[in-house]
Amino acid sequence: MDNKIVEKIQFSENVVKLIINSPYIARSRKAGHFVIVRVDEEGERIPLTIAGSHPENGTIMLVIQRVGVSSAKLCDLNVGDTILDIVGPLGEATKIHKVGTILACGGGVGVAPMLPIVEAFKEAGNRVISIIAARTKDLIILEDEIRKHSDEVVIMTDDGSYGNKGLVTKGIEDIVAKEKINEAIVIGPAIMMKFAALTTKKHNIPTQASLNTIMVDGTGMCGACRVSVGGQTKFVCVDGPEFDAHLVDFDEMIERLGAYKDQEIIAHEKHEHKCKSKHQ
Amino acid sequence: MDILDYLKEERNKDWRKNLRSQIKTKDRTKTKKVKMPEENPDIRNTNNIEVNSGLTKEQALLEASRCIDCANPTCITGCPVGINIPKFIKNIESGDFLAAAATLKETNSLPAVCGRVCPQEIQCEEQCFYTTKLKLPPVAIGYLERFAADFEQNSGEISVPQVAEKNNIKIAVIGGGPAGLATATDLIKFGYDVTVFEALHEIGGVLKYGIPEFRLPNTIVDVEINNLKQMGVKFITNFIVGKTASFDDLRKEGFKAFFVASGAGLPNFMNIPGENFINIFSSNEYLTRVNLMNAANDNFDTPVFSGENVAIIGGGNTAMDSVRMAKRLGAKRAMIVYRRSREEMPARVEEVKHAIEEGIEFLNLHNPIEYFADEKRRVKSMKLQKMELGEPDDSGRRRPVPIEGAIEEIDVDTVVVAVGVSPNPLIPRSLSDLEVSKWGTIIVNDDMQSSIEDIFAGGDIVRGGATVILAMGDGRKAAIGINKYIKQKIKK
Amino acid sequence: MNIIMDFKSIDDILDFAIKNEQQAADFYNKLSGDSSVKEMKNTFAEYAKEEEGHKARLIKIKDTGEYNVKEEEVLDLKIGDYLVSAKTSEQMTYQEALILAMKREKAAYKLYMRLSEIAPNNNLKNIFKNLAIEEAKHKLKFEIEYDDIIYHEN
Repeated sequence: MDNKIVEKIQFSENVVKLIINSPYIARSRKAGHFVIVRVDEEGERIPLTIAGSHPENGTIMLVIQRVGVSSAKLCDLNVGDTILDIVGPLGEATKIHKVGTILACGGGVGVAPMLPIVEAFKEAGNRVISIIAARTKDLIILEDEIRKHSDEVVIMTDDGSYGNKGLVTKGIEDIVAKEKINEAIVIGPAIMMKFAALTTKKHNIPTQASLNTIMVDGTGMCGACRVSVGGQTKFVCVDGPEFDAHLVDFDEMIERLGAYKDQEIIAHEKHEHKCKSKHQ
Repeated sequence: MDILDYLKEERNKDWRKNLRSQIKTKDRTKTKKVKMPEENPDIRNTNNIEVNSGLTKEQALLEASRCIDCANPTCITGCPVGINIPKFIKNIESGDFLAAAATLKETNSLPAVCGRVCPQEIQCEEQCFYTTKLKLPPVAIGYLERFAADFEQNSGEISVPQVAEKNNIKIAVIGGGPAGLATATDLIKFGYDVTVFEALHEIGGVLKYGIPEFRLPNTIVDVEINNLKQMGVKFITNFIVGKTASFDDLRKEGFKAFFVASGAGLPNFMNIPGENFINIFSSNEYLTRVNLMNAANDNFDTPVFSGENVAIIGGGNTAMDSVRMAKRLGAKRAMIVYRRSREEMPARVEEVKHAIEEGIEFLNLHNPIEYFADEKRRVKSMKLQKMELGEPDDSGRRRPVPIEGAIEEIDVDTVVVAVGVSPNPLIPRSLSDLEVSKWGTIIVNDDMQSSIEDIFAGGDIVRGGATVILAMGDGRKAAIGINKYIKQKIKK
Repeated sequence: MNIIMDFKSIDDILDFAIKNEQQAADFYNKLSGDSSVKEMKNTFAEYAKEEEGHKARLIKIKDTGEYNVKEEEVLDLKIGDYLVSAKTSEQMTYQEALILAMKREKAAYKLYMRLSEIAPNNNLKNIFKNLAIEEAKHKLKFEIEYDDIIYHEN
């Protein structure tokens, strides 16, 4: 049945991978596309970049991090449960071409949407170097899958609990020091993308960033997702989600991502309370 | 049968003749136009209850008796979907309200919607004999339409219009808004196998995400959609043609023609400095959060921010909906900021009247030129340029011109930009052969056919931002166009 | 503007203006070439033609010394003045293109008014004033289009 969860893997306390039945999207999605998901009648519409698909089985893979009430509800779903609404694939697909050497930098759950992009660049005949970065070892996800499609993989953790110690920027510097990079793509938390972009800019490496902003409809209707790119307002949902990372106003994006922070905290506390009282 | 012959035949039926003879025309015209009962403005602006509560049976009967059942019913010429207006009104007068509703549904699939949101004052009612010849207030056609449709909805005896024998030819309607629903209705009546593909999770388009409950309750829309389902129209939500599946995919699945009614979903912004500060929204976002996502209800996850000093930029119906919503969400000052004078606001007179009653402030002849924010990038004030109207230009319109140096700054913590919308780019972008205008609207011929022969289009994706009823008129025209196209195809 | 100060003759000034019109025509031709929408292509091509018309007029004035002056007041809606400038790109929308065009025409207007101020004789002053009016008219055309379509409800 459509939108049914057929597989669930708990990556860490707050991150899960779901394999979901969605035959049309499984067939039509390309690297870089995202979906909008509404978990139940009360749910918010949230954008999630597609981490992969299996067209023959009619399934798509989503990786979800618990941040708000709706994403928490998604994380708590189990195999056999159904997600109320999934629509997509949305956004413009990644422009995949053969350029030489690609540096793909994924931070946190950003590694999930990075996976199909790495796969596609590799398939197009590029040399692909991937950096997987996270705060600590437990938050490193999809390492095997990324390795399968990369020529080289560098793991960076803030605390040094796995791979190299340091931020993604250090990983970039180390790689740039030893070989020529033709193009880069960065996906992850906005703050990580900001500094990764500054680093690649220093080395004149054309860089794309895949943005994950607040959205309501995801089809160009609301404008909640607007970002400034090179001084011009763009809609992430229809013009993106990928943009020239060197032109994106990340500071503005970071502030806009926090637009509903106060409401979210209240809602989250209420949700936790509701869950607790349910279990009592 | 010719439409005029049909109207004449209907008018010559005995019951109509009898009804006409019962009251003298002179006496009919002496009756004063009915007043729509409304909720108390000081209470309604704190809740979401529908403002117009609808005519009582007695009011409807009396108002219907005002209609003199003209031999030449000019009112119909003002109706984009060609409702047989005298027939439905005379049905009301005779007390057969269900027959009145059935008459409406001969040509209008959403009478309860249109009775509420159509600008009758510039359509049927403007062409009414009372308006044109007697210089009196017109027959309240809109109120009566709503009355008949509501009566049917509440009666539990909702009629399902007759449909022709199934021809098993599949047609795809893209977009479940007014245009799409109108086409679907007519196509299903012609016997086609009709599927409506909707991008959002609910059918209704602007009727659901845009127009607020206090003007158009969602349950009213749902009843009408249900009626279409009973007629056999299939609905698929969460499906974006051109993305979820391509036109070619659907052709392979057997769809023989397409009607694109994807709307003018893209909100325009003004491109002035500071417009991306937090708490500056498009009217689409603001209204969608509340109307479609239930953000004002604590049980729903979607948040909405609406502060104490809310400015809405624009003077159309969407601006009125937004500003009245702001008031209901608790604004102390809910303001309309509009570049022209109040007389020139494109919003319906009734909406402006309601807004004034509800305590909305109007800053006419003011235009925002810059926004300022606090340290968290939340909007805190706006710079307004005062305007005056220049001499009428070639089009006869007086353009607002800035008054040199007349600039003021006012505090705002929420801004809703309602300056207009552009066509949704998703479909044009997915079809490189589709001819579009420089503004992105789909170019169609008189049959509403696009440059690709099996693709028809109508509503805001063709008009670039118009009314519900004009979209429905397009839908009906397109259904005829599609029928013609399919018939020719079969012949070949 | 330093260039203006370097003018030594009327021909110098006219040459400068002719070059300016050519640049404007090039600008619209580029917009036309970049656009993937047929209708946008045509519209920009028309604008380019108009600018070329200006250039032809200036050349004629330079060759014959003849010109006609019409005094006119042109409305300035100042819509473009407040808008954030757009950059040219292939994916440009017509709205962005209009903003760019309004700003460009305003700049051209200002330039001709300035040239008119510094022109050494009344004849030349009038020529430039006339050209300034032309540019103002262009801008008004864009502003009205913007007013009607983008500010549909405003």
